[in-house]
Amino acid sequence: MKKRSVTNIRIFFEGAILSYRALFRWLRPATYIASKILAPLTMMIFFVFIGTYASGSNDASFYVIGNALIFAASSGIFGVTMSIGGERWSGTLPYLFGSPANRMAIFTGRAFMHILDGMLGVFIGLGWGVLLFGLDLSQTHLIPLLLTILVTTYSTAGLGLLMGCVGLITRNVMLVNNTVYFMMLLFSGANIRLESLPKWMQVVSKYIPLTRGIASTRLIIAGAGINEIFPLLMEEFLIGFVFSLLGFFLFSTFEKRAKKIGTLEIF
Amino acid sequence: MVKRIKDTLRIIGMSFEIELRQNLMDGFVLFGIVIQPLIVAFMALWMLKDKGPDYAIFIVVGSAMTGLWTTLLFNGGNSIRGERWAGTLEPLVGAPSSLRIVVFGKVLANVTQSLLSMIGCYTFISLIMGYPLTLSRPILFFISIILTVFSFASFGVIIASLFILIPDFQRLQNTLEFPVYILCGFLFPIALLPGWTTPISYILSPYWAARALHGSAQGTLEINQIFISWGLLIIFSAIYIVGSGALYRLVLKRARVDATLNTTG
Amino acid sequence: MNAIEISNLKRQFKTTIGVIKRQTKEVVAVDGISFDIRAGELFGLLGPNGAGKTTTIKMLTTLLIPSSGTATIMGLDVVKDAEKIRPRIGFIFGGERGLYWRLSGLDNLRYFATLYYVDTNVAKKKIPELIQLVGLKGREKEKVEGYSRGMRQRLHIARALLHDPEVLFLDEPTMGLDPVGAREMRMTIRNLQSAKKTILLTTHYMFEADELCERIAVINKGKIVALNTPVKIKHIVQDLSIVEIEIFGIPPEFLEKVKNLEFVDSVAVETRDQRQILLVHTPKGPSAISDLVEALNGLRLGKIVTREPTLEDAYVRLVGGQM
Repeated sequence: MKKRSVTNIRIFFEGAILSYRALFRWLRPATYIASKILAPLTMMIFFVFIGTYASGSNDASFYVIGNALIFAASSGIFGVTMSIGGERWSGTLPYLFGSPANRMAIFTGRAFMHILDGMLGVFIGLGWGVLLFGLDLSQTHLIPLLLTILVTTYSTAGLGLLMGCVGLITRNVMLVNNTVYFMMLLFSGANIRLESLPKWMQVVSKYIPLTRGIASTRLIIAGAGINEIFPLLMEEFLIGFVFSLLGFFLFSTFEKRAKKIGTLEIF
Repeated sequence: MVKRIKDTLRIIGMSFEIELRQNLMDGFVLFGIVIQPLIVAFMALWMLKDKGPDYAIFIVVGSAMTGLWTTLLFNGGNSIRGERWAGTLEPLVGAPSSLRIVVFGKVLANVTQSLLSMIGCYTFISLIMGYPLTLSRPILFFISIILTVFSFASFGVIIASLFILIPDFQRLQNTLEFPVYILCGFLFPIALLPGWTTPISYILSPYWAARALHGSAQGTLEINQIFISWGLLIIFSAIYIVGSGALYRLVLKRARVDATLNTTG
Repeated sequence: MNAIEISNLKRQFKTTIGVIKRQTKEVVAVDGISFDIRAGELFGLLGPNGAGKTTTIKMLTTLLIPSSGTATIMGLDVVKDAEKIRPRIGFIFGGERGLYWRLSGLDNLRYFATLYYVDTNVAKKKIPELIQLVGLKGREKEKVEGYSRGMRQRLHIARALLHDPEVLFLDEPTMGLDPVGAREMRMTIRNLQSAKKTILLTTHYMFEADELCERIAVINKGKIVALNTPVKIKHIVQDLSIVEIEIFGIPPEFLEKVKNLEFVDSVAVETRDQRQILLVHTPKGPSAISDLVEALNGLRLGKIVTREPTLEDAYVRLVGGQM
């Protein structure tokens, strides 16, 4: 029993290092700066300006916070999804299926780096908010903020896990990725107040990751303490957990099916 | 001379058709052309709701422009690189026809397909939202569309070659997407931006395209102001077309010296 | 009258090693080659993989610019007059790439016909003819991604012939084809030659060069090591017999010992199926066997045969070493 846990821990770390290498192998400082720091900023600027133009107000913080957390979604969806969906691309899926390694350890290990990367993205976003848009962090308690960001990046990684498995059975991974990403933009309340969305859309918002994370962050930056946001965080965590569970389940289903009929080529 | 023009048009037409055919098989292309602009349109609609129903046409045109630019940047810009990945760049270069004319046809196809997004947004918003969508000056609007398509396609020819000429240009792809939306006033006026950015806006041809399109759709510009925008679109297109000649000669010479027609070297 | 003239053509490549600390190395792929091809000749460029055949073809088809030296096709310089050359030549590199997978064979041909300025009316007739010629009739409307290797190769040929070029460059045209397909391809090539086209063919199959070509240039490590008709090239090894000794792994010191025997001209090791054969070129013939067995004392040996040389042996002698 102990040997099994040691193996699993080792697999976890190997997965993490693999992800780390894959993430940064082709990145040189220029690319990292461009894609991690500049590109998200340009998106933030775009939505902040539309938002303030629309409402006529000077308060950009609503949009800054929303977009900063979207950056977490980006790591979760593109990073995690590709690290699993990418298995199919690189043809290593049969090897993965053939190994006795604990799946959970593998995937969690891989997701780990992307969670860290996602958190970094949020901090960069908030940083830009302070620098360029006058985001006021004076009322913010650090611990609840850190916790919220961690939980949110975790839950988007959970979505990424599920999407990654979907990516295994389709040729158009990028299409799925981008659609989900933009859906998150739409439904999570990042740029649109949830109350103003049609009723059916608000229902969807309730069941996806990120929504509560964004809401919590807005509350925290406005001065809320851990007690107020705790229920939201619990729900956010739960959603992430459910999505990852669905992801594992889907993965084992695909694996069994692939072993039975000899192929994963569905569409 | 007439034969040359006929041949050129034939090549553009064939390249256009082939690109169209291939795109219809590619789901991701569909995303950039249809799905993303629709989502952007929806978001913009909701965010700008308080501005009133007259803004609906502004949103349609603005979102469609975001689709046009994204398509140009990702699909059009990939014109030459994609051929290289597929191994078809060598046969293309080895053929007597001029590569930049072939690329023009490809980019034209991508940009034209992207216009579908404009139609899609229009239909979507008018049907579902029940908003009035009238074009204030339809004829001027349609001429603006034609000039926009032509100008974007010429720009795409330049962009496609930059992706080959500058090895790290690809890194900038994501970073160039939103700044154009911002600086060219697609979904909010550039008056909101700091003053020092205005000269930058003026040297971007999509700015003049957006100006002409918004102005004729909403009727917010005088006719002579629209003519000025058209004039600038034409001048930019001319610059791109003339400049692309020298640029492509350089790119192809380099590629044949560096042996990068088949691989990235 | 010469269709192709090559003078001291050289081509170097820079390769980089390492990712973080990059070092560049200069590799010379073509090292000063010169030869001429007459109009209407079927000329073969024969050599092992990596000898410089494809690089040479790419320079002649204006896809690579030579590092130094000159080449002309029909009197036109491949660098300065590239645009004038392109309408008059056809080339195939074969293989998986170079075709549009998502399109049908027919659409591929239509597209390239336009790019080669083939008149629309001419193309309308020519394309079905070519499809028939290369044996793709009935399958031209299917997407290329569904074609077999052989079918793609044949589509390449059809494409190269669309504009009726005067000079054809065929780079390993039968590679990847099954024996029947390869035979048909060779027949097509012979037919093209009787249509008075100049053809430069590259291959690493000796028998193919022997069978098809009027003259052959053997290229190894970027240099031409022989240039003559197949018959005359065989004369290189005319005085020799080949002793074939079946071996089961030969350590380098034994190989050296055999090479240094004074009656041994050259030695090569060939892998046939699962067996290794030591090929010894010697004028002594069968009488060399006892000395060779003595030199290989200690090693396990199998069948020993003496035979007459073939073009293949001439080739081995010219390029030396491992096959």
